[in-house]
Parts: sequence; C-alpha cells; structure tokens
Amino acid sequence: MTSRPTVTIHGADGSPSDDTHPLPAVFKAPIRPDIVQSVHSGMAKNKRQPYAVSEKAGHQTSAESWGTGRAVARIPRVSGGGTHRAGQAAFGNQCRSGRMFAPTKVWRRWHQKINLGQKRFATASAIAASSSAALLLARGHHVSSVAEVPLVISSNAFSGATVIKTSAAVKLLSAVGAGPDVDKVTKSRKLRAGKGKLRGRRHKQRRGPLVVFDPEKDGKALARGFRNIPGVETCSVYALNLLQLAPGGHLGRFVIWTSAAFAALDSVYGSTTEPSELKRDFLLPSNVVAQPDITKLINSSEVQSVLRPVRGGAITKRGNVQKKNPLRNKQVLLRLNPYASAYHKEGLGQQKTASDKPKGKDETFEAALLEN
Amino acid sequence: MSTEYDNISPDLIWEVVRKNNSYLCKRKQGGGVQFSRDPMNLANKHSRKHDGFVNEKAIGIQPDDNTVSMTTKLPSRVNKPAKSTQQSSFSASTPNRKLYKSIVNSTAKKGYRADLRMEAVARASAVKLSQKEKKDTPAPKLRGAKARKAAEGSS
Repeated sequence: MTSRPTVTIHGADGSPSDDTHPLPAVFKAPIRPDIVQSVHSGMAKNKRQPYAVSEKAGHQTSAESWGTGRAVARIPRVSGGGTHRAGQAAFGNQCRSGRMFAPTKVWRRWHQKINLGQKRFATASAIAASSSAALLLARGHHVSSVAEVPLVISSNAFSGATVIKTSAAVKLLSAVGAGPDVDKVTKSRKLRAGKGKLRGRRHKQRRGPLVVFDPEKDGKALARGFRNIPGVETCSVYALNLLQLAPGGHLGRFVIWTSAAFAALDSVYGSTTEPSELKRDFLLPSNVVAQPDITKLINSSEVQSVLRPVRGGAITKRGNVQKKNPLRNKQVLLRLNPYASAYHKEGLGQQKTASDKPKGKDETFEAALLEN
Repeated sequence: MSTEYDNISPDLIWEVVRKNNSYLCKRKQGGGVQFSRDPMNLANKHSRKHDGFVNEKAIGIQPDDNTVSMTTKLPSRVNKPAKSTQQSSFSASTPNRKLYKSIVNSTAKKGYRADLRMEAVARASAVKLSQKEKKDTPAPKLRGAKARKAAEGSS
C-alpha cells in the first residue's frame, strides 16, 4: 500500500493551510449500500409514535343478526325502531359506520431492533462514502465549488464561540464553498403533498451540509450558530447518526469536519487492526475485495499473463457495416473474387466467342433428301 | 474514484449509483428509458460509459452564450471538486470542422476517452446547430392567377 493519503485543513476563509491530517482509517471502510439501506430503514422506524383507532369504534350498538327467513343478509342489524338506524347492518367492515377491518392496535411492533455490529458497520460505511465527491454529486449535493472532499476546517475557526451568530456561520459556509448547497436547500422548500401538512410536517426541503464537531474542543456554541440555516445540521463526532450521514438510506452526505472532530475519528472508530478506544469490541470492517478497480484487475499482469491469445488476430468480425453490392463496388468484388482483376485486364469479358456463324446446308443435302 | 483510496473506484461508484442518483431521469414510457442530466454526459444516457461523474475522465460539451465550452475532468484531482475540471471554450466564429478537430485533438487523440470521440463531435455539432440563427420562413407564394391579381389590386 502506498503512503496514507492526507487531507488539507482549510481556514475559516476557505483557504488551504499548510496543516494536513492523515486520513482516518474509517474512510477505508467498505462502502455497502445494502447494509446502509437496511439499517437505515430499521432506524427510521424507531422514532414512530403509536396510533390506533378507538377500541370501541363500530361496536357501540346492540346489533344482532335476524337469522335466516327474513330475506335479508344475516349480518347483525341494529335493533329497535323509530329511527332510520334501526334495522341497518352493523359491526362488519363492509357496513356503514361499522368497525374497520383488523382495527389498528397500539401494540403494533413500532420499533426495530438492529444489531449493534450492523449499526456500526453502516455508520462507518456512510462516513467512508462521504469522502467521495462522485457520491456527493450523486446524492444531489452541490459540491462543485468545494475545495476538497472530505472537507476539514481548522478548529481555530470555531474557537472562542466565534460562530455563535448565524451570520458568522453563513459567512463561514459560503467561504468554504458550501454556499451553493445551502442555496439549493433554501430554494427547495415546498409545501408537502397530502395529510402530512396537518401533522406537523408542513414543508419538504432538501438536506444541506452536516457539520461535525468535537464538543470537548470546539464547544457546543457552534450548534446554535448553524441551527437556523436551512438544511444545515450539526452533530458531535462521538454521536454520529446514520439518519444524518445517509438520509433516506442514500450514501454520500456532504460532511464538513472541524479539524478536532476529524482528528477524533481515529479514536472513535479505531482501525481494522486496533480496536476503537470508545466503542467496546469494535474493529473497523475490512474490504472483501482489496482492489475495487475492475479495469486495473483486468489489465494487471497477473491476469493478462494467463489469458489465451486473441483468436483470429488482427482480423476481427465486422460489426454493423453497410452491405455493398460486389457487382457495382470493385473493391468488394475483388475481395470476393481475386481473379476479377486479371479477367478485367485481359479484356476477357469483351472477347468475341470464336465460333463462326452457323453454316448453311450444303448442296448435297437437298439432293440426299429428295433421293428417296 | 480516486486512486489514492483503495476502497473506492469508478466501478464501485457505478454499482452504488446505477439504481438511483440525482442525475438519473427514469421514464416509464419508451420501454423505461433512462437518461442522465449530468453536464459531463455527452449522450445524456444513463450508462457506465457516459455518466461523467462516475468516471475519472469525462468530457462535457455545453452551449455557453454563443460559444461552445468543453470541460474535461482531471483524474489527479478527483477529491478537489473546485479544481477538478479543465475548461476551454470555442468562439462562435470557429468553423465547425475546426471545432471538431480541436475537440478530438485535445481529447481522443491524446488518449483521453478515445471511446467518446464520436459522441463529443456529435454533441459539439448539435450545440453549434442549436446556436445557428434561424432563417425567417419565406413569404408564402401566391397560388393561382386570381390570388395574384387580388394581391396586385390591393397593393
């Protein structure tokens, strides 16, 4: 393996400084969208609140079936008389004001248990994916003005509660190249379709950058600076959450790291050989395939040396080519009939046939005919 | 993506991204055609070959107020999005054939995505055509002696 790549630490004005930090080992974790998606779909369920229809709904009547012989269906019917309600069918899910089919219960399984190992795997995978500019673009982040991915900003920019004000936070984001991504979020705010509007989810909007900090070194004040910027979220390195790192289960959230948080990643996640300091019994997962570049694998000398030589050599099968008429096209004719050139050169096609005109009958013929 | 990290490659990114990504445009019509909105995609097709953000090297050709601009990706700077592309533009007065030639000379002939030679030229040609000023529709010819006479009489 080559030397560990390093990441430049950027200043508050977005300019690269001379400081660098070696890339933490989490970024080498395998990128597994399948695991991230399944863990995400489980985790997304864990915030749900129970709901159900009333236990009594549809059963608040003393209906009884009339039995057979009355030329009506045997469904329970409301007893009594004097109102329209009397004699109407009740209880059944097909009845007007009957109970629903399989009434919902509050004891539905609302929450999902997800294995801790899988959760950690998914988080590591989502962090690793956040280091690829292509995956950020594929998720829809506007990162073409960002200096580097992963983006690390010096913790000096946050020290002494410098970004306690939102105006300072906005300035920082635009200096660092995250401005277009925040603009995208602001413009994306739309009224939600459907009933969700009435249930506290009035608007829909995209997600912007996630600012990850180290609360011990950067302080928590910066969270207050960022919290009112649309789409921007903040998170402590020690409590990274898959729902923020891979919203919707899609890999590649745009993450802005403070240098203290970036430095803390190695102690939080450890490496594939050294266990994490903060998570018990956790080693980073290793890649099953060491070389993900298939082109490189195919072109490697190991593979190429055991391949059979190409059949047919330079002559390859012609694909979709226009058919030429050999009777009109001389080159095609020659390919089919090499003799054609000699035939043409000697003018064999123009030669008269040697035979003479048919001879007339000679004099003896008539005499012989008439002899008898 | 980058050669320096050994867990990410264009092949892996393509597998992650091929089912769904922000550029993908899926349609139910036309047998479920899949297009791409990627500016670095010459054919606008959702495919491993054409999607520019997946590949380390890619060519983008776009109209840019009456000029044709060409963008190429620099494979050494994949992790520096702000500096990862090379821009060049061709003025409106560049003849078509010269434009195609310079596009091919600066990409395919240098071994930079030689597989995209035809697509690059085709897209440049389409951009040029779109920038051509449209001729006004000619005045309709009058048909028949009566109509001609009527027009003469009125003028």
